[in-house]
Amino acid sequence: MISSLKSSLESTFKDVAVGEPEAGRLSVLAPKDSLPVVLRYLKENGLDHLALLSCVDWPERGKFEVVYVLSCYMPSNTDYASEQRLHVFVKAEIPREHPALQSVIDVFENAEPYEREIHELFGVHFAGHPRLIPLFLEREYEIPPFRKDFDTRQYVAETFDPIPPVDE
Amino acid sequence: MIPGSQPTDTDSERELELYFGPQHLGMVGNFSITLKVRGDRIVEATANPGYLHRGFEKLMEYRTWMQNFPLVCRVNVVEPDSMEMIYAMGVEKLAGLEVPERAQYIRSIYLELARVGSHLFGLWAYSNMLGFDTPAQWAMYHRDLVLDLFEELTGGRVYHIYLWPGGVRRDFPEGFKDRIVETLHSIGGCVPDYDSTFFNNRLFHQRAHGIAKISQERAKALGATGQVLRATGMRYDIRKVEPYAAYDQVDWEVPTREEGDAYSRIWVIRDEMIESVHMIFKLLDAMPGGEVYNRVPNPFKWEIPPGETYVRCESSRGELGLYMVSDGGDKPYRVHFRTPSYPHGLTILEELLKGASIADVGNTMISLYIVAPEIDR
Repeated sequence: MISSLKSSLESTFKDVAVGEPEAGRLSVLAPKDSLPVVLRYLKENGLDHLALLSCVDWPERGKFEVVYVLSCYMPSNTDYASEQRLHVFVKAEIPREHPALQSVIDVFENAEPYEREIHELFGVHFAGHPRLIPLFLEREYEIPPFRKDFDTRQYVAETFDPIPPVDE
Repeated sequence: MIPGSQPTDTDSERELELYFGPQHLGMVGNFSITLKVRGDRIVEATANPGYLHRGFEKLMEYRTWMQNFPLVCRVNVVEPDSMEMIYAMGVEKLAGLEVPERAQYIRSIYLELARVGSHLFGLWAYSNMLGFDTPAQWAMYHRDLVLDLFEELTGGRVYHIYLWPGGVRRDFPEGFKDRIVETLHSIGGCVPDYDSTFFNNRLFHQRAHGIAKISQERAKALGATGQVLRATGMRYDIRKVEPYAAYDQVDWEVPTREEGDAYSRIWVIRDEMIESVHMIFKLLDAMPGGEVYNRVPNPFKWEIPPGETYVRCESSRGELGLYMVSDGGDKPYRVHFRTPSYPHGLTILEELLKGASIADVGNTMISLYIVAPEIDR
């Protein structure tokens, strides 16, 4: 299944780079504008489970790497097949300045909270998301807190050290 | 408005906003839901996580590979063991470590014990919420017996930090096998009592049947795993789909149900508990001898080659995943947990609460088996 998926991806999309970094895993690097199309194509070809949507900050390269981890639900209710061990990482690299992506909620509905989380923690904007409001945090941050240039220890020292201790 | 009744222009037809939790009897854990209600029907529900956001994934970037174990087990308070497992699996995969065969069996036994403990806790939460106090107290007592086993094995009752990369921390103590069997027999002997007071109780059936029903199509579209998906008929279990530890060494079944409602989810949990106990007996019989861990490099100087990985295991609540990136240093570069409660507690909960009555909010939430610290991390 992996080799056929790889060749069909390469023949369908001219602008994606497909690699197989280890057995059972494909890594697809797609330009950010074709992400929804690539994801929909993969969904229709059996990878119907968006397990995770994550983001990695690479400040030296000036990029965010947004990662969609896809795997398969079972095609029937009872049978296990080795194809189900397949994972696909779909990745898009976006610049750290004004990072923005197209929302993929219309392809995978469960991407909704993940996109909200990445918007909040990394400052990536998802165009077309119906409610890009904070998910976890209650304070305002100058730098979104999961970026590499946000120093947790410095923030804690500056924010909480001035608070005087409770008298005994 | 009650379906089928005539609309009336009274105050009860006004749309109100209700805050459900975090301080509420029907709420388990620090989590809240904002409900828009008309009469006692919910028009719209918004899940509000964040009361337990401790930023573990960021904190882990400041700590060495080994120092992270006390953090990962606190992601899921109720079942810390599968969190240890997933993190150990991730580190092993990135570093290319092997695990001895005996340690694989010990891991499986340990994780199944944790699953039994976690399900008993879930049974307490659910039966307590419905007002079945007696089976709730039993479940809490029986969970404590499982915790006693953990205390003997690891020194800790709730957080164990027993698994680590390359194997487990130490071998079973003398006579521990017998004590596992004894404890599980004393819990298993009470299954008929649980059945007659709770599972076969007509009140439970009336209260849970048809509540929070989800079809398989919708469950798949919304990213469901675990009992939520298995209660719709699919035998999706990572222990079978992508076996790890020693789960492919013994025969066992994945219990399922067809209806997809709260009633069938709780029955799947019950059957799973019994299956886990049988699996532990089989694993204990088949357990080989030998070493229980492979030596890892000095943890203070341990650098793991650059790479990324996604590993997954079946926690007591569904598919637990870990996306981890190493940049070649002595600390993880990025860690992201895919916790089962995340889709269950956000997207699926919001969908299932639409049109439900206020009295069923706790019922819906606990039957989805949501544990709040897992969502926030």
